Amino acid sequence: MDAVRLWSLSSQPLKQLIRTTTTRLVVRCCSSSSTTTGGLAPKAGGRSRRLSASTSTSDKDAVRAIRLNKVQELRSKGLEPYGYSWDRTHSANQLQHVYKHLENGEETKPEEDGVSIAGRIVARRAFGKLAFLTLRDDSGTIQLYCEKERLSDDQFDQLKGLVDIGDIVGATGSIKRTEKGELSVYVSSFAILTKSLLPLPDKYHGLTDVDKRYRQRYVDMIANPEVADVFRKRAKVVSEIRKTVESFGFIEVETPVLQGAAGGAEARPFVTYHNSLGRDLYLRIATELHLKRMLVGGFEKVYEIGRIFRNEGISTRHNPEFTTIEMYEAYSDYESMMNMAEEIVTQCALAVHGKLTLDYQGVEIHLERPWRRESMHNLVKEATGITFNEFGNDLQGAKEVTLKNLGADLDYKYKSSIEACSSIGHLLNEVFEIVVEPKLVQPTFVLDYPIEISPLAKPHRRHAGLTERFELFICGRELANAFSELTDPMDQRGRLEEQVRQHNEKRSAAISEMDGAEDKREENDESYEVTLDDDFLTALEYGMPPASGMGLGIDRLVMLLTNSASIRDVIAFPVLKIQQ
Amino acid sequence: MAAAESTPYLEELRRLLRMAEHPSTIGLISSEIRSLEIDQPPPPRLGKEASPAAEEANQEYYENRLNYIATLQNPYPHESSVSKTITEYVNEYEALLMDQQGVHLENITESLAGMAMRQRSSGTGCFFYDLCGNGARVQIYASARNSEMVRSEFLMFHSNVKRGDIVNVTGFPGKTMVGQISIFARSFVVLAPCLHMMPTVNPRGTEWSPGRPRNPETYSLRDQETRYRKRHLDLRTNPDVEHIVIDTRSEITFYIRQFLRNRQFREVDTPILHTIASGATARPFMTHHNELDMQLYMRIAPELYLKQLVVGGIERVFEIGKQFRNEGIDLTHNPEFTTCEFYQAYADYNHMMELTQEMFSGMVKELTGGYKIMYHSNGFDKDPIQIDFTPPFRRIDMIEELNKFANLKINPEDLFSEEANNALKAACNKYGIQCPPPETTARLLDKLVGHFLEEQCVNPSFIINHPEIMSPLAKGHRSRPGLTERFELFVNKHELCDGYTELNNPIVQRQRFANQLKDRQSGDDEAMPLDEGFCRALEYGMPPTGGVGFGIDRLCMLLTDSLNIKEVIPFPTMKPQDQQRAGSS
Repeated sequence: MDAVRLWSLSSQPLKQLIRTTTTRLVVRCCSSSSTTTGGLAPKAGGRSRRLSASTSTSDKDAVRAIRLNKVQELRSKGLEPYGYSWDRTHSANQLQHVYKHLENGEETKPEEDGVSIAGRIVARRAFGKLAFLTLRDDSGTIQLYCEKERLSDDQFDQLKGLVDIGDIVGATGSIKRTEKGELSVYVSSFAILTKSLLPLPDKYHGLTDVDKRYRQRYVDMIANPEVADVFRKRAKVVSEIRKTVESFGFIEVETPVLQGAAGGAEARPFVTYHNSLGRDLYLRIATELHLKRMLVGGFEKVYEIGRIFRNEGISTRHNPEFTTIEMYEAYSDYESMMNMAEEIVTQCALAVHGKLTLDYQGVEIHLERPWRRESMHNLVKEATGITFNEFGNDLQGAKEVTLKNLGADLDYKYKSSIEACSSIGHLLNEVFEIVVEPKLVQPTFVLDYPIEISPLAKPHRRHAGLTERFELFICGRELANAFSELTDPMDQRGRLEEQVRQHNEKRSAAISEMDGAEDKREENDESYEVTLDDDFLTALEYGMPPASGMGLGIDRLVMLLTNSASIRDVIAFPVLKIQQ
Repeated sequence: MAAAESTPYLEELRRLLRMAEHPSTIGLISSEIRSLEIDQPPPPRLGKEASPAAEEANQEYYENRLNYIATLQNPYPHESSVSKTITEYVNEYEALLMDQQGVHLENITESLAGMAMRQRSSGTGCFFYDLCGNGARVQIYASARNSEMVRSEFLMFHSNVKRGDIVNVTGFPGKTMVGQISIFARSFVVLAPCLHMMPTVNPRGTEWSPGRPRNPETYSLRDQETRYRKRHLDLRTNPDVEHIVIDTRSEITFYIRQFLRNRQFREVDTPILHTIASGATARPFMTHHNELDMQLYMRIAPELYLKQLVVGGIERVFEIGKQFRNEGIDLTHNPEFTTCEFYQAYADYNHMMELTQEMFSGMVKELTGGYKIMYHSNGFDKDPIQIDFTPPFRRIDMIEELNKFANLKINPEDLFSEEANNALKAACNKYGIQCPPPETTARLLDKLVGHFLEEQCVNPSFIINHPEIMSPLAKGHRSRPGLTERFELFVNKHELCDGYTELNNPIVQRQRFANQLKDRQSGDDEAMPLDEGFCRALEYGMPPTGGVGFGIDRLCMLLTDSLNIKEVIPFPTMKPQDQQRAGSS
């Protein structure tokens, strides 16, 4: 899939190059009209442009120096290079819309239809007494049509000499559609509102430096409007989720990020230290346990959209901080949450795309309801032919059958993780993850997880050993996790204590292993501490109504709806390795 | 207190009893009277005040409950059925049975669920409960006659239903002889037993609404430790709390979101884990990322990232989110708190002041119906004061007014000088104003402003045009050298809101950071560190921008008449409880 993506990216610039080479040439010449920085003057043709695109530090410094001179020059003319405000009458998009009817060559009367706009200059061509600038604001782009006669005194010379690509400019004038059909603001006056000091990267070469895209997201957004668009869509998705759950009567609650014990999930937490309390605090790994306290407190429908933190590796699917919605509804079971998940995802898809069929990395995804609902047992049986509830408690027998069944070509990694399973439930889940999960491309609810891997879910009302739990998969990825909540405080205490016991067992095993291998400097996955949230268990003893709850990953939902391959594409400022 | 309040109702019942003729009516009314007279035991004291005897009683209660549920096959059933919420039920049948008494709609079946409170029995095989949930309540009338159980089973069952149990009732709607809307139970299921002794609830609902004064002394659960640590108990027993902690807070954030969205602001999330803690002056929390082996700070402000998004072309942007400051906990500080920051390209601080004024006065109007709120500024034992949000808010020019009130001659242009520093020190001495070291010019000024100007700001007032040395991220004033285009909004003498024309000149920004560094070196460890990534972003050009930030918790405090920030945070950070026995109630 990645290959496809790369190809489509690299094919685009070629087209673009052919289209823009000529204009770009002029631009560059103009913006460095008074300069001697030969390194900046581009040569024609793709190859040399590619070389100059990764503007070296010294080039940047040269540009910066030139532009700083222009800042001085502006000041000496009594002009402020960092203006204070600008009143706009329209956005670019509004103008494109309002003046759609204007014929080629037609102009509105300046005294009647004066407009004022502001934005960043992203392209520029200048001829003797004429200059065309492309201005982009939040809504879109529009051309500035600048004629020496129209502008007062030396404004045209200023425009040619002092305005660079990247500057923020405000302009007023009338509206004219050029003979070539380009809607333009026929500028009567303009002001440099912010002088930019650094050159913008060449649009398509900027993309190749992946690391810089994330480190300097704003540059990425300036160079590629589609990137900014992902974040606009993200805002829409979050707002749509809120609207949807609130229409069902859910109330938003803020629960703490800093906690005395990190519970509600199994993950390594971040630890911090509070000076005046003199104690360690953990960053939450889930909002679950506090939202459930609200149910104990008498609330019947609560949710929280919030940041979760896990001290784990980063990948295309994992960022140490990510956003989820968790929601809880009293007097309902997991069935209700399946409907809720369908409702939320389809509403968001409609808000962003206006339809329920979407493309994700070349695969067509159909979100029309209802979605497939199938138990984990059946899905595994379907894929492997193994019926897991036939094994009873014969773990060894089950492993033998599994290994035989999955075939000899199974990856070593998988074989050892199968061997390591401590119960039938773990084994079933392992086989599910290896064999079934990647195939769940279209939305599927996987139901009834084994009790061993579901410490907060209620036992299934009909099937012993299982819980009333589901996970929602789309494109082979887990998007949501939900259950009928466990409300029995004794059962809950037993399960959490068991979880702590197992964790500590692994942890001490890992520690003794580390003692053996001396230069194994890296800390093991299990080397953190897990404590029991006693306050939560006490709260349950006061009585929590039967309830269902769900957690849904918002970053992953945005990835799906914006066709983004990596979580870093949907988080504006992802956590990155320290730069050398 | 509660008994006194219920007197009119009791009298009415006694009057009805005298008039009643039918034996069942007499039984019913007398049981209602008895229950009202009896059901006012003092709430069990909880938390640190619990005496050893009370603690023992609680423990015994708990063990009895455990023994009881051990005899049940499934004390936590899977199925529950709810046909209406309690509010819907009450509204529907109040309307249907208006002005009627003693009506039973036996053909209708409804199912309700909630928490059973205020249990009482008539001795004639009838049990009454208040069923509570989501801020509403309704009476359950359970009689052996209507029940599916046989009488002995019925009596045994109900003797084990305890205050606080979560129950599910199916039956028919109706009104008792005294006109009380009830559900007459045919089936009665305990969904989740309450294993601990539940404090009693003040039977009167709350009259409180945002902007009005309240009286925490009337709460049935008053111990603050218990209220904040066991918020679920607080919510169940003190009817105001739900409105304060959750409803008013969510109305406020809802209003802000709507206000900003209507003006084309977009909501974004920026990181909480930062590699450098800047954008405000405060001590940050530190943490460590294992796999990357990297030191991280928890954000103290989202400002610098939001401005980067403005550089990236998102012209109107806001974030509502948590900030973290590693500081002491007191009445107005919690280590994590919620703020809203919003930025608008091509606007300046004048525009932002207008916007702020519109937002806050509009919010107060929307939530309270008027512009004036009542607040127990001087403590709950004194009378509340009135705070008036009627626009326009007063504007106080900081240096001009300070010069006037403190009789000073501060010239903003030479505030960097040693002489200015000495003059301010002298002024502080003269008026007896304490400034703990380091005595930087910025800190001295802050103390003077606190003494002379903030004191005047009970009704919302803007203090404007701060000197540059106090405002490292604000743009220099367009016509008054040495000052910046900045405003702070004060309400009830406390800062609520901070805004400015954003500094977007990267050269000046670097200088300001360098000056902050000087303050750091002179011992002010809360001065702002340089954020190179942010300065670099400014070099790509940030449009002229106005920005505002304010604390949502403080706003909640004002509108809910709360003097302690813990009142408005559902789960505030508490001191460790190691000394106390874990799991004790």
